[in-house]
Amino acid sequence: MGQQAINGIFLGSIYALFAVGYTLVFGVLDIINLAHQAVFMLGAFFALVLVGTLHVSIAVALPIAVLFSGALGILLDRIAFRPLRGRADSNLAGLITSIAVATLFEAIALQLFGPDTSRFPFGTFPERRLQVGAAVVSTLQLGIVAISVVLMVILTYLLRRTRLGRQIRAVAESPRAARILGIDVDRVIAASFFISSALGGAAGVLFALAFNSLSPDVGRSVELKGLAVIILGGMGSVPGAVLAGFAIGLIEVFTVAYLGSSYRDAVSFAVLFSVLLIRPRGLLGRAALREA
Amino acid sequence: MSTLSELFLTYQSLIGFVGIDALLALSVYATLCCGQLSLANAGFMAIGAYAAAILTFHTKLPFAAVLLASALAPAAFAVPLGLPVLRLRGVFLAIATIGFGEVVRLALVNWDFTNGALGLVAIPQRAGLLTIYLILGIALFFFARLRGSKLGYALDSIREDETAARTMGINTTLAKLSMFVFGAALAGVAGGLEAHFTFMVAPSGYSFSRVVDMLVYAVVGGVATYVGPPVGAAFMTLLPEVLRGLGESVGLGPGPLRLFVSGAILLAVVLFLPNGIVSLPLLVAAVRMRRQRG
Amino acid sequence: MHRFHEPLIFALAASFAAYGADAVKVGAALSMTGPAAVYGTAQKNGIQAAVEDVNKGGSLKSVRLEAVFDDDGSKKEQGINVFQKFINQTRASVIIGPTLSTTATAADPIAQQSKVPVLAISNTAPTGITDIGDYIWRDSLTEGQVIPGAVKKARARLGFKTAGVLYGNDDVFTKAGYDVMKKALDNEGVQILETQTFAKPDRDFNAQLTALKSKNPDILVISALADNAASIVTQARQLGYTGPVLGGNGFNSPAFIKNAGSAAEGVLVGTAWNSSSQDPANQAFLKSMRDRGISPDQFTAQAYAGVLIIAEAIKQAGMKGSREDIKAGFAKVRDLPTPLGKFSFTPARDALHEPSVQQVKGGKFEILQ
Repeated sequence: MGQQAINGIFLGSIYALFAVGYTLVFGVLDIINLAHQAVFMLGAFFALVLVGTLHVSIAVALPIAVLFSGALGILLDRIAFRPLRGRADSNLAGLITSIAVATLFEAIALQLFGPDTSRFPFGTFPERRLQVGAAVVSTLQLGIVAISVVLMVILTYLLRRTRLGRQIRAVAESPRAARILGIDVDRVIAASFFISSALGGAAGVLFALAFNSLSPDVGRSVELKGLAVIILGGMGSVPGAVLAGFAIGLIEVFTVAYLGSSYRDAVSFAVLFSVLLIRPRGLLGRAALREA
Repeated sequence: MSTLSELFLTYQSLIGFVGIDALLALSVYATLCCGQLSLANAGFMAIGAYAAAILTFHTKLPFAAVLLASALAPAAFAVPLGLPVLRLRGVFLAIATIGFGEVVRLALVNWDFTNGALGLVAIPQRAGLLTIYLILGIALFFFARLRGSKLGYALDSIREDETAARTMGINTTLAKLSMFVFGAALAGVAGGLEAHFTFMVAPSGYSFSRVVDMLVYAVVGGVATYVGPPVGAAFMTLLPEVLRGLGESVGLGPGPLRLFVSGAILLAVVLFLPNGIVSLPLLVAAVRMRRQRG
Repeated sequence: MHRFHEPLIFALAASFAAYGADAVKVGAALSMTGPAAVYGTAQKNGIQAAVEDVNKGGSLKSVRLEAVFDDDGSKKEQGINVFQKFINQTRASVIIGPTLSTTATAADPIAQQSKVPVLAISNTAPTGITDIGDYIWRDSLTEGQVIPGAVKKARARLGFKTAGVLYGNDDVFTKAGYDVMKKALDNEGVQILETQTFAKPDRDFNAQLTALKSKNPDILVISALADNAASIVTQARQLGYTGPVLGGNGFNSPAFIKNAGSAAEGVLVGTAWNSSSQDPANQAFLKSMRDRGISPDQFTAQAYAGVLIIAEAIKQAGMKGSREDIKAGFAKVRDLPTPLGKFSFTPARDALHEPSVQQVKGGKFEILQ
C-alpha cells in the first residue's frame, strides 16, 4: 500500500509537470496545443544527446534542455499559432496546425534517432535505494519529485509575483483588454509558450530518466492522460493542474492495485467524463464553461 | 490498354479508401456545421464496424441490413452520450468525446468476445467500390437537402450564435443532437463498409489518431460547405500514395522524410488556405482579378 | 496521376530489361514509420543483407534477387495499398512481410486473391494468418511453438511452484504470448498468483510490478516486446524484486540487454532464434551483419532467413522465379540451413524449426543447457 502510494506520487509529479504547461497555453490562448507532447519528447532527446554523446552531466544538461524546449515553444508559436491570430476559426485551425507541427517534430526525431528505444546512460543520476518501512524509494524518484515541485513553485511565483506573470494572467483573462492596457499581447503569448514548452521539455527529461525509456513516440502515452489532468484540475489553472496531476497519478496506481490493470487508462477517462458532466470547471478552474 | 487496367488494379483499394474517408470526413462535418467539435467518431466507427462484422459472422442477413445495423448501433449510443455532452462548450465537448472514443477502444482491447487486440479477421469482402460510392452519394444527397431546409437554417444560426438562436425559438438541443446522431450513423456505416472491404477489424484502427485524421480531412477540405470534407479526404488519403509513387523518382524513399513532407503540406494548407482546398479556385480567381485591376 | 506513373512504368521496364529476365522481384512491405517502425527497420536490414549475400554467393546461378521496399506505416490501409502496388505495378513474384499481424489479416487476402505468395517473417498471431489461403506462408514461430518448451525447461532448472504474470494486452504478439504462457504454466502445475496487464505505449510499470511482487511469486513470467521488456525488468529490480524472470520472444533482442543493463542478468528467454548458436548458417549471418555494423535481433534473423527460404524455393522450382514457381518451391523446402536452424514448413504452411531457451549471462544471451 505504501509502495503504491510512492508509485502514485512519483508518476503524479511528472503528470503534473506535463499538464502545467498544457494548461498554461490553454488559459492564455484557448487552444489545446497538441504539439506539447512532441516538445516533451524532443526536450528529452536533446538532453540525451548532451549526456550520452557529449558527456555533459545531467545537472547541466537538464537546464540546457529546458531552455532548448522553451525555444522550440517559441518556434511552435511562430509557425503554428501566430499566423492564425485574428482568424475566426483560430481554435480549430490551431488544433490542426499543432498536430501538423507535432508530426514534423516526430519525423525529425525519427530521422535523427531512429525508431529504437533509447535510455539515458547508466549512472546518469546517482541511484541508491532507500527503505521506507516496507516500501522502496530510489534517490532518482526523490530527485524527480523534488525537481518537479521546484519547477512548479518557480512557475507559480512567476505568475503571481512578476510583471510578466501579471501580463500573462491579463492576456488569459481578455486579450483585447490587455492590448488596450498597452500589453504587447504577441510577446506575452510567445513568453507563455516559452514557459509552457520549457516545462514540457523538463517533464520529458524527467520521464525518460524515471522510466528508462525514450523513443520518438513517447509523447503519445502522456498526451491523452494530460487532457484528463487538465480537465480535472480546471482548464487554465496551474495549481489545479498540479493537484490533478498527483491525483490522477495516485488514482491510476491504486486502480491497478485494487481493480486490475486493464482499467488503468479507462479510469482516467471515467474521471474525465465525470468531471465534465458534473463540474466542468474542474477542481480549481474558472466558472462559466457551459453554453451561456 | 494494359497500363489503364494495371493502374486500376493497383489503385482500386485506394479508391475505396477515398470513399470511406469521405464518409468519415462528412461524419465530423455533421457536427462542425453547427459549430460543435465532436471527436467521438472513431468510437462510433468502431461500434459500427464490429456490429457489422459480428452480424456477418453469426447471421445470414443481407448486406444492406448489415449496413443499416452498422448505422443504427452507434446512433443508439450517440443519443445517451449526446444529451449530457452537447451542453459543454467547444473544447470541452471535444475532450469529452475524445474520452468516449478511448473508452470504446479500451473496451474492445480488453474484451474476449471481440477477440481483444487481434480483432475479428477473415471478414468476407461484401463491400465493393460501387457500394461505397453509393452510400457516399446518399450521404451527400442528405447534406445537399439540408441546405436551405428548416434544419439547415437552424444549424447555421446555431453556429453563428447559439444563444440568439435559442432566443429565436429554435430547439437547439434537438438540432445539435440530430446532427450528432447523424454523424455517429455516418461513421458507423463507414466502419461497416471498411470492415467488409479490408477483411478485418481491430481496436488499433480506431485510436485517437484515427479521429484526428477525420478532423484533418474536414478542415483541410474546407468546412464552409459539405463539398469540402470529401475533397479534403481525397486529398489527404491520396497524398501519402502520391508521395509514395512520386517519392521514388525523386529519391524520397519510404521513411520519416515522407512523414515530414505530409506534415509540412498539412501545415501549409491550413495556414495559406484558411477556407480549405475548395476555396483554392476562388483564391486563384481573386488573385487574378486583383492583378487585372493593376 | 497517370502522368506521374507513365515515366515510372518506363523506368521500371527499363530496369527490368537491364537486370535481364532473371531478376526475381521480392516486394518487402515493412513498417518503417508508425509504432512498428522499430521492427520494420530491423527487418529491412536483414532482407537487404540477405539479398546481397544470396546474389553474391551465386547459389541461384543466373537468377538475381531484387528487393523492393515500401512502408506500410503500421496501418492496414497503407499495407493494402503497398500490396496492390507490389502485385499490380511492381509485379513482384513474392511479397515478404508485412510487419504486423493486424496488417497481415487485411493485406494478405488480397495477395491470396491475386495468387501472389506471401512469406510472413514476424506475424505471430496463432490464427488468421496462414489460414487465409495456400499462398500465405510464414517463417516466424508462433509463441505457441516457443513458450511451452521454455516454461518446461525453466521449471526443470528452477523448480518454481507459483508465478506472477504480466503481459501487454493491446498487441497481438504479446497477447498471443500470454495465452500460451497461461496454458503452459497450467500444464506444468504452476499456480498463477496474480496477473497484470499493460498497454504498449505505457512506460510506468511500478503499479503492476508492486501488485505482483506483493504476492511473492517464485517467478515472474512476462510477455512484452523489447522496449517495454527492458523498462519492466529495470523497474522490477528497482522495486526490490530479486526472483527469476522468464520472458517470451519479445525479449530476444540486443536492445533489451542494452536498455536493461544489469537488470537483464539472469533473465530467461524463450526464443525462436538462438543468437549464440554455433551453426555455420547462424555464424555466417552474424558475420554478415557485423560487417555491416548492425547488431541483429530476432526480427533481423527471421527476415534474413525469409530471403534464404525464398532463394531455396526458387532453387527447388528449377531456378525459376515466377509466382507459381515460388509457391510450389516453398512446399519443397526441407531442413534448410538458416540462422534460425534447420527450417521446414509445416503442412499448414507455418514455421517449423527448433526453438530454444536462452539466459542472459554477463550481458550476453547464452543457450540454457
